[in-house]
Amino acid sequence: MSEAKPKKRFGVKRWIILGLFAVGIYAAFIGPSILKPVSPVVVLPAEPTGLRIGSFQITNTILATLLADLILILMAIGVYRFIKSGQLVPSGFYNTFEAIFEFMWNSVEGTAGKWAKRIFPIPATIFLLVLVANMVKLVPGFESIGQIEQSPSGEGYAPVKLLQLGGLEVLTVDKGQPVTLITATGETASGNIKATTGEAEALCTICEVVPFLRGSATDLNFPLALALITVVMTQVYGVMALGPGYFSKFLPVKQLVSGGIFGLINFVVGILEIILEIAKILSFSFRLFGNIFAGVILLSILGALLPVVIPPGLYIFEVFFGAIQAYVFFLLATVFISGATAGHHGDEQH
Amino acid sequence: MNDPVAFVTALKLLGAGMAMMGAIGAGVGVGLAASGGVQAMGRNPDAAGIIQTNMILGMAFAEAVAIYALVVALIIIFVA
Repeated sequence: MSEAKPKKRFGVKRWIILGLFAVGIYAAFIGPSILKPVSPVVVLPAEPTGLRIGSFQITNTILATLLADLILILMAIGVYRFIKSGQLVPSGFYNTFEAIFEFMWNSVEGTAGKWAKRIFPIPATIFLLVLVANMVKLVPGFESIGQIEQSPSGEGYAPVKLLQLGGLEVLTVDKGQPVTLITATGETASGNIKATTGEAEALCTICEVVPFLRGSATDLNFPLALALITVVMTQVYGVMALGPGYFSKFLPVKQLVSGGIFGLINFVVGILEIILEIAKILSFSFRLFGNIFAGVILLSILGALLPVVIPPGLYIFEVFFGAIQAYVFFLLATVFISGATAGHHGDEQH
Repeated sequence: MNDPVAFVTALKLLGAGMAMMGAIGAGVGVGLAASGGVQAMGRNPDAAGIIQTNMILGMAFAEAVAIYALVVALIIIFVA
């Protein structure tokens, strides 16, 4: 489609992009200080949003995960209705979905063989969830819109009132008015606060923005949960494929009794296998968490230092990395699970 | 040394930077994996799919070391 005709549309898009560049330069260097990017505050644990179910605090990463879930469910409903409609040739969005599914299916079948059909749901679910969560976190508004709160570190900017939406006061933090000499604060330049009259006098003086939404994988709990599911399901599939004999990988008691000195070595190796399973959980979760969290820090810090040219390139880089990390998680889950179903033929031939 | 807080902060940043030296090995490992993978694909383009899968797998394991170093550095700076 792009080769055939639309020369004119390309021209329009080029002017839009150049216009956005000009707006970016104006906001970052020339315009009023309220538009300038503030340097980010980096918080490792997820912040509570104030919502709660019973005594359970809902953090901003949980909200982002729920958003990703919602998108996935809508996609699934859309695809289901498309299949129900009986059309055989997909188009547009469904074509993309079919391509993703074919890609996943080919990968799983390539590694797992005849077990592919039973293994497929676990890695595919993980792939889709991580992919959607990583993509959704790049939408502007994530990590920038939130509640203004008093900065606990004592460094920050003064709040400035932007506009009034009914009972909702919309505020922003202003780079032009650093309250202390050391400048470090709220992610970007806007924040909502639910201003009831009672809270108005309790408004902060040194502020930072606690965002409503933060990327799911920037909370260690999200990758850790996926890693736990993967490793537990690895054992489940191992038992499904090999029966209780699967656990002889970890505790080769039979060889210890009959095998002499090599049986003893195998027994120690079995204990090492248990440690390996725990190391899988660690490497799974820290890989995803580290990549995504480092990406967030990179984007926000470089966005504050060099606001104009570099961040778009890094954004593309982040899109690429989100997809690659989802693929790596998916691939490793597939390989581990299919490895568990394949058993250990090497030992049986001894 | 007159300002102990600044001294500790400086040492923290230094430690975080030194923790990231672990990325050297990971970089070498990822580079070796990519080099080997591309050479294998050049010799046997028919097997490109399998080679690519295993190459990315190896890269992910090598890269994990750098990620551990990064996590240690982040913890030193932001948590400890």
